[in-house]
Amino acid sequence: MSKPQKSSVKVRRFSKAFVWAHAVNAISFFALYITALPMYTEFFDWLYPILGGPEGARLLHRIFAVGFITPTFIWVIFDFKGFKLWMKELVTWKKRDLEFFTEFVKELFGFNFKHVRQTFFNAGEKINSIIQIFTAILIIGSGFPMWFPQFFPRAVVQWGYLLHNVGFGLAIAVIVGHVYLSVVHKNSRPGYSGVVTGEVPAWWAQEHYPDWYDEEVAKGNFPKLDDPHKPTTPGTPGTPNKKKKKGA
Amino acid sequence: MATEYVKFVDVTKCDGCRACMVACKNWNDLPAEPQDFLGSAQSHAKTTADTWNVLQYIEHENSRGGLDYLFRHSACFHCTDAACEKVCPEDAISYTDFGTVVIDHEKCVGCGYCVNNCPFEVISLKEYVDKNGDKYRKANKCTMCTDRLEEGLQPACVTTCHTEAMQFGDKAVMIQKAEERVKQIKDRYPNAMVYNPQGVGGTHTVYVLAEKPSVYGLPENPKVPTSAVVWKDYAQPIGKMMIGATTMAVVGAFITNTIISKKKNGKNENGGDSHE
Amino acid sequence: MQYTDCALIMGANPAENHPISFRWLTKAKENGGKIVSVDPRYTRTSSMSDIYAPLRSGTDIPFIGGMIKYALDNNLYHKEYVAKYTNASFIVKESYKFEDGLFSGYNADKRSYDKTQWAFEKDAEGNLVKDFSLEHPRSVFQLMKKHYTRYDVDTVVKVTGTPKEDLLNVYKAFCATGQVGKAGTIMYAMGTTQHTVGTQNVRAFAIIQLLLGNIGLPGGGVNAMRGESNVQGSTDFGLLYGNLTGYLNAPTSIDPLNATLAGHLEKETPKTGYWSNKPKFIVSLLKAWYGPNATAANEFAYQYLPKGNKNYSHINLFKAMYDGKLEGAFLFGTNPVVGGPNAGKEKEALSNLKWLVAVDLWETETSAFWQTDAGSNPAKINTEVFLLPACSSYEKEGSISNSARWMQYRWQAIKPLGESKADLEIINELATRIKGLYKNEAGPVAEPINALYWSYGEGHHPDIDLVCKEINGYDVNTGKLIAGFGNLKDDGSTCSGNWIYCGFYPEEGKNRAKNRDKKDTGMSLYLNWSYAWPMNRRILYNRASCDPSGVPYNKEKAVVWYDAVQGKWTGVDVPDFVATRKPGDAGFEDPFIMMNDGVGGVYAPTLNDGPFPEHYEPYESPVQNPFSSQEINPAIQLFDGKFNERGFKADFPIVATTYRVSEHWQSGTMTRNQEWLSELVPHMYIEISEELAKEKGINNKDEVIVSSARGEVKAYAMVTKRFKPHKINGKNVHQIGMPWHFGYKGIATGETANRLTPHIGDANTTIPEYKAFLCDVRKV
Repeated sequence: MSKPQKSSVKVRRFSKAFVWAHAVNAISFFALYITALPMYTEFFDWLYPILGGPEGARLLHRIFAVGFITPTFIWVIFDFKGFKLWMKELVTWKKRDLEFFTEFVKELFGFNFKHVRQTFFNAGEKINSIIQIFTAILIIGSGFPMWFPQFFPRAVVQWGYLLHNVGFGLAIAVIVGHVYLSVVHKNSRPGYSGVVTGEVPAWWAQEHYPDWYDEEVAKGNFPKLDDPHKPTTPGTPGTPNKKKKKGA
Repeated sequence: MATEYVKFVDVTKCDGCRACMVACKNWNDLPAEPQDFLGSAQSHAKTTADTWNVLQYIEHENSRGGLDYLFRHSACFHCTDAACEKVCPEDAISYTDFGTVVIDHEKCVGCGYCVNNCPFEVISLKEYVDKNGDKYRKANKCTMCTDRLEEGLQPACVTTCHTEAMQFGDKAVMIQKAEERVKQIKDRYPNAMVYNPQGVGGTHTVYVLAEKPSVYGLPENPKVPTSAVVWKDYAQPIGKMMIGATTMAVVGAFITNTIISKKKNGKNENGGDSHE
Repeated sequence: MQYTDCALIMGANPAENHPISFRWLTKAKENGGKIVSVDPRYTRTSSMSDIYAPLRSGTDIPFIGGMIKYALDNNLYHKEYVAKYTNASFIVKESYKFEDGLFSGYNADKRSYDKTQWAFEKDAEGNLVKDFSLEHPRSVFQLMKKHYTRYDVDTVVKVTGTPKEDLLNVYKAFCATGQVGKAGTIMYAMGTTQHTVGTQNVRAFAIIQLLLGNIGLPGGGVNAMRGESNVQGSTDFGLLYGNLTGYLNAPTSIDPLNATLAGHLEKETPKTGYWSNKPKFIVSLLKAWYGPNATAANEFAYQYLPKGNKNYSHINLFKAMYDGKLEGAFLFGTNPVVGGPNAGKEKEALSNLKWLVAVDLWETETSAFWQTDAGSNPAKINTEVFLLPACSSYEKEGSISNSARWMQYRWQAIKPLGESKADLEIINELATRIKGLYKNEAGPVAEPINALYWSYGEGHHPDIDLVCKEINGYDVNTGKLIAGFGNLKDDGSTCSGNWIYCGFYPEEGKNRAKNRDKKDTGMSLYLNWSYAWPMNRRILYNRASCDPSGVPYNKEKAVVWYDAVQGKWTGVDVPDFVATRKPGDAGFEDPFIMMNDGVGGVYAPTLNDGPFPEHYEPYESPVQNPFSSQEINPAIQLFDGKFNERGFKADFPIVATTYRVSEHWQSGTMTRNQEWLSELVPHMYIEISEELAKEKGINNKDEVIVSSARGEVKAYAMVTKRFKPHKINGKNVHQIGMPWHFGYKGIATGETANRLTPHIGDANTTIPEYKAFLCDVRKV
């Protein structure tokens, strides 16, 4: 099924800093998840012996909690431009972003769908990011009073437990989808290499993020792909985009 | 089914001798933990993991301009709706048939949720060291001597109390006694009241207080924290449902993808399925 | 106590120091009784009371003197009781005078009185002259009335600092018990006795109680709250230096009559009252001590009794030690470096000993006085110290006697730990070995030791049952136990180690101290629980609860009565009276059988400092005595020089007092070594009013230095609303208080309050004046 002529060309989608940040974030998250599971539900109590008892689990949870806080800093310090772009994208919403979702659902379940033109981040990723940021704030914010209850008013600690729980619930729900799309789902799977190596197949990038791709082509950063098989190419390559995209 | 019992503490009969504190440590084998000088006769600021009851000493200028020297035996209230029981993630805290609330150290993981959610602030964590030198924590509080109750004895503090400021017995009888006592002492203590807060469904340590609860540093209307109710009754079940729903969604997606892919195998009509 | 209508608690803090008594006071309250607390500071007892009145330390006599006047002025006293059951009707000799704080017969050089000048008037036949109308100007009643005229409410308030309203509330509440059928009790402890007028403080209580008819009935009495669980037992068994056992006086050679037993008996035995049986008790005691070596021919070994003439009180012993006049000392369970007055000097005194044997559960501040920790230089101290480990009460068998005179037997719970031994065993070993050393010697030193009859079995530990039997007494010929002290003889045929306990072991196998029957035998007297001396009577002088004809004043609370049908006294208590005495018999109307005259002593011409209590200021006081120009008790013994520095108002303007807390016991030896008690009161502190703290710039929890003429002590400041400055004569007089339990040994340590207290004692007992002295306070 593969089209060898397509797969050979790769383009840089994410900086090394982002790759690191993402990796730390992902590993921390799952480690936090695992170390908290036996507390979340007794069904997973068997994890305690593996984690070194409640104390081991607690220690690991705290170590990874620190890990969980660092990605933002890694990204900000080593790739501020990328971070800024992300932030900007998150607050930029257009009609096509909404359109994206209807198509996304079709794509998700493997039905026929059309690509809605997207910029550096597609609407799904933006939603993912927003929810992740929101839940991270909830989790981290509530984590501090839980870790150091002696420095916080009791009410803050008490609400902290709730928010930690809510944040976690939301995050895990989103992340299950996020992971599925990146690792399992065939249409978005190529994007997975983007968070591992920073590079993605050019054809995939062009298909999923045509606005961004075309802009980079215009800047001379990416090769112009000639894909006869490409059935639909909505929009015009090189269409001026008001938003400055600085993917690199 | 055992009888539901109540420890009735009549603070107006207490003479502050602190025998209850010593009896508690004796029966429960708790170590001493001397404190810095606190500026009053009180030995510990509040209950701790090794000091399950603390006698409070309060100098209170009463509404008539006189001085009252008030005492209160403070310990776990053994709530009917116990916040600690609600928030415990390990089901380590449970109600007994006697109406007492007890912590199972086998199950306790030392998370401290109970500590921070107790409306009366009577639970504390204690650090232990196992035989390998590793540290671990467990939550501790008054057990109402449930081990004694099981043997047909009364709590150690009650047994030792020499002024009958503490009595232990059938819930209804004790509450009735408390109500009668309040009537008797209204002249001396106009603000006297029975403290059996309904916000936590009533308690199994019921007080006759000489003054308003706030004078003793007690909440006027204690209840299970709203956050705990939202957390345990709503957020957690919904969260679990959400995780289930998302998981179901991705599993569904995987299945439909597989099926559709198989169907379309070789056709490659649509652009959407042309990637791997 | 649960039957009282009003309990006046003064010089005591039972809620803290005698908590068990509060069990009964709580019951009294439930029964409608009132509780009154009079104390310089608002204590836990005060918080449990219906009425609280503050007073300045050392002003108990004005306080009660004012109450006496109040009761007399307002006709609140129990008239029949006063006339019939007290010596108010007696006429006093004309030689009795009272002027400017001095009674007649005062010798300023000797600081003592010629008490014969206070005697009662007798007629030609030697009978007392009485006036039952109480109107004779020289009747005790009129003299008392005159004496206390000066104690009017306004003067009292000026001296005590008690707010007038509070004072009158107390007077009103307590004097209401003068009504026939009502009972009031007074509870006191060391706050009353540890003064230079300690004995007279208690006398003042006795007077008001006699006036109100409160002696001899349930819910009445003057109740000493003992400082230790077995103080009663100790004094019963001759602990006081002037006593043999059973309150028999120790003979002194200064009185020529004491040269022979016959003379001694003559001197000691009154013609009337129960003490007329005294020779039986003395001879039986000598028979117990010297056994077969006491015979009629050798005056029952009377000559072997030491006949010292000195005051052997605590202060005097330490004075002798300080002056190098004592070579060695045995200290059994006593810790004077913490508990003694002017403790710094007592510690110095110990270093003058050649040897010191300390018998205690732990090494105390006293037995370790020579160590660097104690601030001593061991190189400069030549005292050889032996520490003998004693075992605790749970590790031994024996009895203790409580304030209600119950002799309660206790069994051994566990074997003594380590090498520790019971005191009894230590003494037994000591006695047998000393006897062994002198066995083959003769002469005045060896003779009494050889004559001593010491036969308590063969083991190291004496056979306690043999000791018990000897205490009770037995027929020396048959060995048969004596049923009661009424059966003791003065011919040497009986022995009894302590006559007041004779009867507790009336027959073989029936040691009544071991009685443990919880059944209420009536009026909550529990006659079959342990044994109360004398003869298991629970309420002393209970005859006084009945009117002269033998009918109880309060029928609902009747304990004894005369049963005309049976022709004898009966009741739920054992009558403290000759049960067979019938109406018309001599003495039928005299309830106080131990008093020579059969009546209560409103007037006591036997005390060293006067027949009526009179107010004198404490040895150190910031206030002038408004009652007379006698500032301090004129009959107290003064110790001067470095042994007892005296402080004055200019340098030390603050009144100080010491006290105990529930959690620590005495010098803390036992409790400061117990971690659960130590954590409850872990620090030395002083209690100080908000007003004084403000003046001195002291905040709560600050460390402060308290200084007196004798020394300095560091402590934490507990700033409290419970201490208020006393308004004395319009001016604020500050007072502080502090616990005296602390020392440098043990788990809970702190500086010793008694480094501040003076070496001065009561005129009759020489009990030190711990409760009122002068100090100053400053922030560290």
